[in-house]
Order: sequence, then C-alpha cells, then structure tokens
Amino acid sequence: MSGENTVLKENVFVNEKEKRTGVHNNVNSKKNKKEIKILAKNITRTFTVKNRGEKGVKEFTAIKDINLEIREGEFITIVGPSGCGKSTFLDILSGLSKPTSGELYIDGKLVTGPALDRGIVLQGYALFPWRNVRKNIEYGLELKKVPKKERKEISQEFIDLVGLNGFEDRYIHELSGGMRQRVAIARSLAYNPSVLLMDEPFAAVDAQTRETMQEELLRIWEKTNKTIIFITHSIDEAIFLADRVVVLSANPGMVKEIIDIDLPRPRKLGDVKNSPDFNWLSHKVWELLHNVEGNEKTKVINENRDIAEEISPTVDL
Amino acid sequence: MSAITIEKSSKKKSDVVGKLQVFTRKSIAIIVFFILWEVLPQIGVINSQFIPPVSEIVVYLGKMLADGDLLIHVQASFIRALEGFALAVLVGTPLGFLLGGWFKKFEELLDPLLQVLSQINPFTLFPIFMLFFGIGEVAKVAIIFWTSIWSVLFQTINGVKNIDPVILKGAKAMATPKFSLFYKIVLPGAAPLIFAGLKNAVGTSFLMLIAAEMIGASKGLGWLILNAQVNYNIDRLYAAAVVIAALGLGMKKLLTVIENLVITWKEDSSNM
Repeated sequence: MSGENTVLKENVFVNEKEKRTGVHNNVNSKKNKKEIKILAKNITRTFTVKNRGEKGVKEFTAIKDINLEIREGEFITIVGPSGCGKSTFLDILSGLSKPTSGELYIDGKLVTGPALDRGIVLQGYALFPWRNVRKNIEYGLELKKVPKKERKEISQEFIDLVGLNGFEDRYIHELSGGMRQRVAIARSLAYNPSVLLMDEPFAAVDAQTRETMQEELLRIWEKTNKTIIFITHSIDEAIFLADRVVVLSANPGMVKEIIDIDLPRPRKLGDVKNSPDFNWLSHKVWELLHNVEGNEKTKVINENRDIAEEISPTVDL
Repeated sequence: MSAITIEKSSKKKSDVVGKLQVFTRKSIAIIVFFILWEVLPQIGVINSQFIPPVSEIVVYLGKMLADGDLLIHVQASFIRALEGFALAVLVGTPLGFLLGGWFKKFEELLDPLLQVLSQINPFTLFPIFMLFFGIGEVAKVAIIFWTSIWSVLFQTINGVKNIDPVILKGAKAMATPKFSLFYKIVLPGAAPLIFAGLKNAVGTSFLMLIAAEMIGASKGLGWLILNAQVNYNIDRLYAAAVVIAALGLGMKKLLTVIENLVITWKEDSSNM
C-alpha cells in the first residue's frame, strides 16, 4: 500500500466520524434545495423467530434506527452485506411490511400500505406470464381505471421508452432476461409513480446486459425525473448510478454512512469507471462494507434459515 | 422485408407438414390395433364369438344409430356424466380457491382427511350411496360427483399454491385490490393446473358412469353393457364400450380445445 492510500483511509475515517455525529450534511449538492420526498424516521423492524430445538421465541432485529431523507428526483442506492435488511427496508418503503417502530413519510404523509405512488421492480421480475408485454405494462393503469384507449397510448409511450417496439404482443416466456427487466421497469413507470423502488433489479441478467441496463436506467431517470431507491450488492453499480450511496451495516442493519457521489452527469459507464474519483469511491465503499463483517458473519449463518422464513414468509393472499 | 415474409410462409408450410407427421406418428398404433382387431378374428386366430371383428361392431353401431336406440342411451349417459362433472367443478374449484389461497392453515388441517377420502375406492361406497340416495338418478350423479371432485379440488389448491410468490408480492406492492387480485392474478395463475384437473375429472366421470349405471338403471351405456352381458349380445357389448371410449375421449379433446383458447400464454408443447 502506498502512502497516498493511507491518507485516503484517514480521510474516510474522518468522514465517517463526521457523519456519525449528526444528520448527514449535504453541502455541495444543488438538490439540497429540493423538497424532501421520503422521510424515514428511526425505522426499526424486528422479527420474532422460533428457537430451533428449544422452546420459546427470540427477537431478531433486521434493521435498526434507519434515518434517511431523500429529496425529490434523487437517485439513492443502498448497499450492504447480505443479511443487512436491504430488502426488509424496501418492503417497508413499498408498504408491504410495517416498521416495528418509527415512521415513514412520503410527501409528508405517513405510509400505511402499498399504493400506486410508488413503483416497484422486484428481483425476480414478477411479471405476469399470462399477459403479453403491453398488458403487463398496462396493469397498473387498469387498477387506476384508466380508459382503454388512453391505456394503449401510455403503454406505447413506455414501450418506446424502454425500447421494446415490436415485442408488444409477446408473452413473457418469449423474452430474454434483459427484455423482461425492461418490461418490469416500464410496468412500474407506466402508472406514473413519483418514486421508483428497485430491489436488485439487474442481479439476474448477464454482465453485458447489466451494463446496458444501468445506462438505460440513468437515461430513463433523467427523462422521467423520478425519485429512485435502488438496492444492489454491487459496489460499482451503486456508485455509477447514485447521487448518494447509503451503506448499511449488518446484524442489525443500520445506516453506516451516506456517501455523496459527485461524479458529473450524464454518466457514461466507460468514462466513469476509469476515472480516479470512481476508484476512490469504490474503494471507500468497499472498506466500509468489509470492516464490519468477519466477527458477525458466523452468527448470521447459523440463524439464517429460521430468520429467512420469518422475514420473507410465503406470501399470503 | 421480403426475405422475412418468405421465411415466414415457408415456416408455415413446414408447420403443417410437421403437424401431419406428428398426427400420423401418433395414429400408427391405433390403426395397427384396429387392423389386428379386424383381421385376427376373420382368419380365426381369435375366436370371433368372443371378439368379433371391428367391422361387425361398426355395422351394429350403424344399426343402433338408425333405429334411434343408441341416441337414447348416449343421451341418458351423457347427461348423468355431465351433471356429476359440472357439480364437481362447481363445488371443487371454489373450494380449492378458498383452501389453497385464503384458508391455508385450515387446508393444512384438512389435507390429510381429504387425501384419505379421495383414496377410498368409490365402488366400496356404492352401498352407502344407495342407502342415502336410493337407486335413482341422484345416486348415479352423486357417485360421479364424488369420484371426479378430487382432481378438480386438489389441482385447484395446487394451482393457487404454486403461483410464484414474487408475482403475488409484485401485485400487492402495486396495491391490487382484493377482488382484482383474485381475477387478475390468482385465477389466471392457477388456470393451467385447474385445466389439468378438469381433464382428469372428465375422464374419471365417464369411467364411473358405467359402474353407476349398472346399479338399477333402465337406460344408459352402462346399462347397455350389463344388458348385453345378460343377453349374451357380444356385438352390443363392444358397441357400447366403443361409444363410451369415444365420448370420454371427445370430452377430453373438447376441454383441451377450450384450454388452448383460454391459456394462450403457454409455450407450445404439441410438437414435443
């Protein structure tokens, strides 16, 4: 390790201390002036887990005291080691699950359940195989009772946006992974939510498609001006996309640090990935992610099965 | 552009040829069977007293059809089978939806009992059905209902349970109301397995029909067979058997056609 690197490390340390003392201070971002879109206040989620082999139950804290302010039009990525409660947090944001304590506000209103003001893109696409591409995209519009003719116009607009022209009438099993993901994104955008929640959307596609999709997503974001919360386990992806990267620590999941990404936009993957800033940020996030693991990891693995069943149980109707 | 259209039309042609090939391939065994059935009794390898050649049966069928005899029996049987089957569908599918989707815990409790009940040989239940329903129409329909409801019920439960949880999660995250969740998600999601259950049930309903008609009926294909047996009318016996098989097969085919109209999203597996 060169001397320069050590300096950087200290820098990180100072930064970390600063951040921990209070609310995140975002000095140089213009977006500071924009309204707060999403406010998470002390969000904690615990699960009761049955003790295997023994009697009684015990508490498992998936996420603890998450405080987050997200401004309108901001692109936030959340990274963290596995088991840090990323998906739990997204479930709470989507309204599918309620925090044990703490509140979540969107546009100043307390979130009590799922609603069409938030679009969601899940890890496994969650597309409807019995609907073709167009019908999948129109699903939210149907729920909103948009008239048929208007529905068609809107779906066409989003088919164009994600570049699926010519595939409107295809069923899902006829599409490749990347195309499926485009349908999922178009579907979540079509009913015009102001917030887009994405849970590792590109985890299942190949590396090449993934990179194209990242650039596409940025292009769509710049065009539609949505507030995006994007969960990923890829450090590079998190930095490339985000205005701010939220780094979570595991067991319980807590906000470890929020890092501003001041890379110029519009970003091109080829340019950004080779820039020294990107490497520096990437290293920083890497360090943040790695100095918590190790000591806690074995514990997580031992308890994994019971907890997983509690956290994402089979969905009830 | 033109290259694409040419390719498309040639593809269509090869599709037709391919389907014909599949059809002949699938028919060979049946054709050979009928030929053997015709030839072996004729040349005396098989005693034609017990197994008359197929042509004789066809002639006999034609005669029955001509004097209107056949139609009465087919009608009687058809209505019974359909009544029992329809009743099984009307009870089995809604019950399956409730148990598979909305009362899962209850289903868990109920499942062992249902499994045991479904495994009871329906023939052993004949006396009990007769005790309750007599030997009239009700008893026959009840027997058919009892035997065909299980596959409808179990397949509907499976269909609902097998819907990808991610799809349900996605639908719920989009704030899908309860009723929409049923007819936009659960119903189409479970449809393929429900159809499998229906096809199976229609088969069993025609199977049980014959047995049911052997208890105190005065018409119907089952009665026809019993009657033929008593009167030692071998031609009639085979004629009835052929008609029953054709009816069951026809109903199954009809359901497949309906299935293909309803479930348009499945991968085409007819050539596999």
